[in-house]
Amino acid sequence: MMYNRLLTTILLIGLHLAAISQVHLTRNGTIRFFSETPLENIEAVNRQVMSALNTETGEFVFRLPMRSFAFDKALMQEHFNDNFVESHTYPNAMFQGQILDIESIDFSSTGEFNVVVQGELTIKDVTKTIRETGVLNIHEDHIRAQSVFIVEPGAYNIRIPTRYARNIAGEIEVSVDVVLRPQ
Amino acid sequence: MKIWKIILLIIAIAAIAAAFVVYFFIYSKPHRDYERAKPDLEIAAEDLYRAFIEDEQMAAETFNGKVLLIDGTLSGVEQVADDMVVLYFVFEEGMFGGEGVRCTMLVNHHEQALQMEAGLEIVVKGLCTGFTGTDVILEHCSFP
Repeated sequence: MMYNRLLTTILLIGLHLAAISQVHLTRNGTIRFFSETPLENIEAVNRQVMSALNTETGEFVFRLPMRSFAFDKALMQEHFNDNFVESHTYPNAMFQGQILDIESIDFSSTGEFNVVVQGELTIKDVTKTIRETGVLNIHEDHIRAQSVFIVEPGAYNIRIPTRYARNIAGEIEVSVDVVLRPQ
Repeated sequence: MKIWKIILLIIAIAAIAAAFVVYFFIYSKPHRDYERAKPDLEIAAEDLYRAFIEDEQMAAETFNGKVLLIDGTLSGVEQVADDMVVLYFVFEEGMFGGEGVRCTMLVNHHEQALQMEAGLEIVVKGLCTGFTGTDVILEHCSFP
């Protein structure tokens, strides 16, 4: 049911975005996460992020398959999918929100703008409102959107078994980097 | 006394061997070789896309994490980055443009992929990692 709800939501947003036709998008955005503990550092990269930005309204969405996170070690990747995020049950993560004060950004000329993004981040079966800072780089033929923020696994019902608790940080650094081109 | 020394030596060697096995064959075991992997399922690219459109949850349970051998008419090739080449099949025009199946190729298949043109009937093997709302994603793809 959750998948259908997410799909419906994204399509409705898509409808709204497309209707205004100021949509920039990518199907291969990048999201990384980084966990640092005294025992080990763990990094994973996902390059299958679908993301769209409406430059008129500031609406911003991204959705990604959790199984596309690539780890250095195969065992970590298995634990991540099977035990931590349970990607067989919750195959996607999603953000839908808004870049605030979008009218102050001049998309007609190149430049760099600090922005605030607010919206709902869904991981597993938990949706939380987040408010984060980011940077928009306006280029002639694309927009690059970047943000780094912290996610606490426990807040999204990601339970780390006791035997791995010392290997995985309580705060995970998440980096979003998407190069959006006109639709 | 001599026997005890031999027993201790054997225990020490066994412990080192066990640590070696755990480190190299469990903790640092290599990723699966998807190029050589036997496909779990064979399906037409369009049927795969339709399965996710019609019932995403059931399709996810059926295909995610499986090595698929898909066939279909190629819609195009995209060099996303220096190290990323994607073959794509489009079956519908959606809110965000063409929707279908996107196959991220293994590096040693980039050259062959970049020579392909739209309209070719092709067969590709890869790991299904999920659905983005617009496209079914296959990664570690190769030509069988």
